[in-house]
Amino acid sequence: MKKEITCIICPNGCSLEIETDSSGNFLSVSGELCPRGKGYAEQEVSDPRRTIATSVRLLGGELPLASVRLTKPVPKVRIFDIMKEIRSVKIWAPAVTGTVIIHNILGLESDVIVTKDVAEIKQE
Amino acid sequence: MEKKDAVIIGGGPAGLAAAVALYKDGIQNIIILEREKNLGGILRQCIHDGFGLVRFRTTMSGPEYAKQFIDEIQEFGIPYKTGTAVLNVSDDHIVTAASPAGIEKIEAKAVIFAMGCRERTRGALQIPGERPSGIFTAGVAQAYMNLYNRQIGKEIVILGSGDIGMIMARRLTLEGAHVQAVYEIQSVPSGLPRNIQQCLDDYNIPLFLSHTVTDIRGKGRLESLTVQKVDEYMKPIPGTEKEHVCDTLILSVGLIPENELTLDAGIALDVRTRGAIVDENCQTDHRGFFAAGNVLHVHDLADYVSLEAESLAASAAEYIRKGILAECVIPVTYCSSIHDVVPQRVSGTKDVVLSMRVNKPLLNCTISIMQNGKQIAMKQMKKILPAEMIRIPVQRTAMSSSGTVEVDII
Amino acid sequence: MKELYDVLIIGGGVVGSAAARELARYKLKVAVLEKNLDVCNETSGRNSGVVHGGFAYDTGTLKAKLCVEGNRGMDELSAELGFKFNRCGKVLVGTTKEELHSLERTVEQGKRNGVQGLTIINEEELHHLVPKAVGKFAMYSKNSGIVDPFNYTIALAENAVLNGVRYFFDTNVISICRNANIWQVHTPRGIFCSRWMINAAGLGCGNISDMLGIRGYKIIGSKGDYIVLDKRTGSLLPMPVYPVPTNTYMGIHVTNTTDGNVIIGPNADDVTDFTYYGVLQKNLDYLIKSASRIWPCIQRNDCIRNYSGILPKLVDDKGTVQDFKIEIRPDLAPDAVNLVGIESPGLTAAVPIAHLVIEMMKEYIKLEKNPSFNPYRKQQQRFSELSDQEKAKMIVSNHDYGEVVCRCEKVTKAEIIRAIHNPLGVHTVSGIKYRTRAMMGRCQGGYCQMRVTSFIEEELGIAPEDIQLERSGSYMFTGTMR
Repeated sequence: MKKEITCIICPNGCSLEIETDSSGNFLSVSGELCPRGKGYAEQEVSDPRRTIATSVRLLGGELPLASVRLTKPVPKVRIFDIMKEIRSVKIWAPAVTGTVIIHNILGLESDVIVTKDVAEIKQE
Repeated sequence: MEKKDAVIIGGGPAGLAAAVALYKDGIQNIIILEREKNLGGILRQCIHDGFGLVRFRTTMSGPEYAKQFIDEIQEFGIPYKTGTAVLNVSDDHIVTAASPAGIEKIEAKAVIFAMGCRERTRGALQIPGERPSGIFTAGVAQAYMNLYNRQIGKEIVILGSGDIGMIMARRLTLEGAHVQAVYEIQSVPSGLPRNIQQCLDDYNIPLFLSHTVTDIRGKGRLESLTVQKVDEYMKPIPGTEKEHVCDTLILSVGLIPENELTLDAGIALDVRTRGAIVDENCQTDHRGFFAAGNVLHVHDLADYVSLEAESLAASAAEYIRKGILAECVIPVTYCSSIHDVVPQRVSGTKDVVLSMRVNKPLLNCTISIMQNGKQIAMKQMKKILPAEMIRIPVQRTAMSSSGTVEVDII
Repeated sequence: MKELYDVLIIGGGVVGSAAARELARYKLKVAVLEKNLDVCNETSGRNSGVVHGGFAYDTGTLKAKLCVEGNRGMDELSAELGFKFNRCGKVLVGTTKEELHSLERTVEQGKRNGVQGLTIINEEELHHLVPKAVGKFAMYSKNSGIVDPFNYTIALAENAVLNGVRYFFDTNVISICRNANIWQVHTPRGIFCSRWMINAAGLGCGNISDMLGIRGYKIIGSKGDYIVLDKRTGSLLPMPVYPVPTNTYMGIHVTNTTDGNVIIGPNADDVTDFTYYGVLQKNLDYLIKSASRIWPCIQRNDCIRNYSGILPKLVDDKGTVQDFKIEIRPDLAPDAVNLVGIESPGLTAAVPIAHLVIEMMKEYIKLEKNPSFNPYRKQQQRFSELSDQEKAKMIVSNHDYGEVVCRCEKVTKAEIIRAIHNPLGVHTVSGIKYRTRAMMGRCQGGYCQMRVTSFIEEELGIAPEDIQLERSGSYMFTGTMR
């Protein structure tokens, strides 16, 4: 079976043609300009993963939100579960880039880290 | 009056990279003027990843990408002022700015425009219909959601398949809104293919090409809208009307370089790019005025904005030291398949990177750069999309100091 | 015991607000009931802002008389109330012999109406006035001018409020009855009682007239679309350029604004739905094509916005447009002044209309002057229009003048905060927009609307989901995201 997807690893966005067998197992891929493309194709067929970026509520900061992202791609099917988990988190300013606010989220081996520095509101 | 070697207008990706490069090059009597309270420009609200793939060989979010440069600004103590809006730039190099501290005037040897761009609006598009609330351009929706903590709507229709629109489709979906569809008036998407994959396909959001919004209804808040298929002249086809009951319309229909200050200084703009006409030094037609980043031409990767700004910085440094740069008299022309090329003039005596966009998608072709009947550079492309800026380096050794440079597609 | 007003004005447009201000000169308890969330939301705010000379109307009509009066008084009025009026003149351009004759007749009519400064000029003189206008000759009306209809109406309303008039917004009239010589007006906010009523409801004049008991007026809506051009085009248009008008229709014209934009329009379509302000695609194309014939400086890239306005025209059985109807009918509706069909030149004639209303009232009641009436309203200086030295001084006095929020129009935080605390208590985003010019530039709020909405929330303690854009129900947000 043939399937066409776009690789999302780098800006090239190569159009990949993936060949799978009747059970859906990966056979081959063409169209990639680099070896990462092959790895992406294989992953897409067996266990599609994504990374997401969102925000958490920041208390006492110059901005009401601190942006966050996952450190590793997680199974695509779990994205909304992860969003629900992240939505419940509130952190206190200052927000510091790189701080882990959820470690190993839902046991999926990815952390959630802060991606923006936000200072505390100065008390006058 | 304060005198600076360089005043950089805008503390976004272009301004930051230019400032750091200038400073490291030894030009240290400089200042960045940024109107927001923080440095970073548009990157502050681009919380999705995909930045830094080219430059840092790793993917990071917009704020993290900006932080790479902001850390260097702090580390080196490069002067900058936030909360400071430039009101005017005169053609005799005086920059006037306002901030809570007052009005200040700075005389700059080199003025570097890095103001970025604005979004095309509904009014500019002249979409007919009523004027309810609930209509946002994608960048505004992004700012509300990522910086101001506002939920903007529940039932969303997006007009325009630009990257920002698609990224907002994903963002809104992740936050529990229902994105009903994305409509694009052209017959090809205007954003990058990988965004179609990871923002639309991943969430089963349909994309309809050759469609546009032809009517908007709602007395208070948006209630419904009509979309129609369009023909090859982008005119709505009668009988193809489809109605969407929704409460939000997001417009992702184009970016326009924000050149009001540039125009005030009397500098000429290119009608295609809507940015300044520049030479290979990123110098405009006014000596000592430079431009890079989205204010020069709309980019699709922040990484290339940084490279362009750094190249500008090298030239600006030379200008500051010598008081003049070698004139670039060779025009760069291009065939009808190409939409625009930057820079518009070269000297033929320096390595240069020509950045360009095509008018329509092309497959299996070669971009050939010619001068005096000889090919001086080329790039073979399996696929070219208008959404992707193409950069082709041309070596100094291949060029001659006279003869128009022609960009052709074969 | 409900509060009893002396005069209740239905409609907070330019005519209602002019009436409010003029009535405040007397010892009267006055209130204005406005169905929208701000003044000037309907016809008053949806036109090209021209202060007409008065030559276009049949001699002897109220339209002619009150327009000429309004035009004459505009310098003094704008100085008193601190709004911008530019007596820039106007040209009506033509190319054919018929058009020339038509213009000559118009000059005659204008002179009969008491208009001064009307002349027929040749092509050379025309190009001296408006280099880019297309025409072999023109009628030049030296005394025509332009205003910002929002500034003007807000100025009238704010001065009225300063002098004790109350404004009630989001207050539409459901029904009116009369009991023991007192009018009772039923609204969603409750019942308002008053001795006198003034129907200044504009598009709603027919409905209100019916409710007062004066039935049978036929009102046709004349809907026109307008396009706003970027300020970069403003320098090419020193005064409005009109085509030669027909009997009933002034034609698609181009008008400069007091802020340097250009407005193209309007076309004229008859409508019966007075709530639909949608702009049609075919009209937009037609406007550009038509206007380009007399002023060929229009580029699509310069079109930043469009809008629509409806004029309430009183017509007879044959559909012929009538003069303003300003009447008191003691047999049907005692102690009520009925204003019907106040279309163009209502903006120019607003204050003379108010004077006429008061003169008519004086035949029925004695009006005592209010000794503490203050006719003055201070002009709000825009930061963007100050010199650098003046800007610096303003920033020293209030640091918020140094924070430029709207970059396209250079509007500062101080001006926005001041506008949020406006005397009428208006807190819609559009209300702040019209008072400051924030969000009216080429990016249409793309850069600053987030800050503007935040300021409204913070200054007035309004929750995000309660922020309204302009009309009732025009919420911007469904809440916070987190």
